[in-house]
Amino acid sequence: MKRWSRRLHRLAVGVLDLPQDVVLEVPRITMIGHLQMYIENHRGVLSFSEKELRLLLTKGQLIVSGEQLVIRAILKEEVLLEGRVSGVKFVDQ
Amino acid sequence: MRNMLKEWIEGHITVTIRGKRFERLINLAVREGIHIWNIVRVQEEVGRLDILISDYFRLRPLLRQTGCRAHVERREGLPFWLIRVRNRAGFAIGIFAFLIGLYMLSSVIWKVDVQGTHMISEYEVKQAAEKVGLKRGAFKMNLKEPMVIQREMLTHLPEASWVGVEIEGTRAIVQVVEKEEGVKKPAQGPKNIVARKKAVIHSIFADSGKTMVKVNQFVNKGQVLISGIIGNEEMQRTSMVSAGGKVKGEVWYVSNVSVPLKQTRYIYTGASVNHQYLIAGDYAVHLWPFKAEVYKKAETSERRIQPSLFGITSPLGWKTETIHEMSPQVKSVTRDEATDTARKFAQQDILKRAGKDATIKEEKVLHVKEENGKVTLSIHYAVIEDIAMEQPIVNIPAPDKPDATKSN
Repeated sequence: MKRWSRRLHRLAVGVLDLPQDVVLEVPRITMIGHLQMYIENHRGVLSFSEKELRLLLTKGQLIVSGEQLVIRAILKEEVLLEGRVSGVKFVDQ
Repeated sequence: MRNMLKEWIEGHITVTIRGKRFERLINLAVREGIHIWNIVRVQEEVGRLDILISDYFRLRPLLRQTGCRAHVERREGLPFWLIRVRNRAGFAIGIFAFLIGLYMLSSVIWKVDVQGTHMISEYEVKQAAEKVGLKRGAFKMNLKEPMVIQREMLTHLPEASWVGVEIEGTRAIVQVVEKEEGVKKPAQGPKNIVARKKAVIHSIFADSGKTMVKVNQFVNKGQVLISGIIGNEEMQRTSMVSAGGKVKGEVWYVSNVSVPLKQTRYIYTGASVNHQYLIAGDYAVHLWPFKAEVYKKAETSERRIQPSLFGITSPLGWKTETIHEMSPQVKSVTRDEATDTARKFAQQDILKRAGKDATIKEEKVLHVKEENGKVTLSIHYAVIEDIAMEQPIVNIPAPDKPDATKSN
């Protein structure tokens, strides 16, 4: 059953030309240089310090590393991060 | 995403949170719909975040749940500002008192300006203004409409024909237009109207006084036409007035005019010569032509070029003199034409002698004589003209002898 639904999603993305983040529940990340980062579709904060932000995703984790990180705003599915971002890493479970 | 104005009005605080499960707190708060921002991890186990005051009370159960402790670091926004104002009540009252004072002072008339007075004194206008409430220190709110003030001031200022009131800030401008003083007739003593010339009365209208003559009556020079003594003479109840009125009479004139039958007129021949002069100061130096024809009869016109600036005329200039030659032309006229010319001259002469408002009623050529190349006419005119003349009653006659003035 799950396999079928995933196939259907893939098909929708291919045929209907929908953005992948809408269908596949993956994060959409917008970065402005290394200064600002806007992450949608996260599932919660795992850890946060000045040097690292770990976000839980539907599948896996997102690790943002940098310096002087500040969460300017946070909503249920969105995070606005500021600071000097040096790396973004996806980690599977 | 953030509404700064809402944050400021509702008031927000910066909270330092001490606890191991800081991230868990954030997740819970976000799930609860609590608005938090500017999240920083200061140290291990110490975080800081901004939150609205109203949300802070919703955060407290979550703190207990996650075992964190909060400490308010900074307070910002309108509620805290109001508290600060309350703490410095004197200062706040001072500001309000100043604003109210400024408003009050600006709603008071500080100056009354009077414009356009020449005959009426400014003081008089100001007093009139004071009577209707327009004075220094009066509240603008208590004043009536400018139009009403104008009308009321006008009743207090009989010498003015119009009063305009305009309030400009704290200044009231009163503009006065004064009445033009009419030409007053000089005070007149008792007088008669007498005839200026021998005439036959054509019309007589008395403004004041008693008419003594009738239309078509012949009057001599100096005869009383309108008497200044009125009243019943038999009853011996008379009074004297300044007689006035219009009396027109028919006056006869005889005019003798002679017109020559041959007249000489000068006309331009068309020949002319230009003389150039250089002006230096008061002198004009003749430059050319050196030798010019001299005309027997000529007319001269000149043109000057002399630059001037700001009222200062330069001493140097140029003058061009044009001399036009004229030649005599003898024109002989017929006897009839000469007569016509003579009559025109005679009419002008008569009207000059009769004074203004005179009209020629009748014209009669008495005699035409032609001798020595001249036509001499003698014309009789009957002219209707004003014959009234004022004569003061100097010797006040006793009421029992009213004839004293009549025989004048």
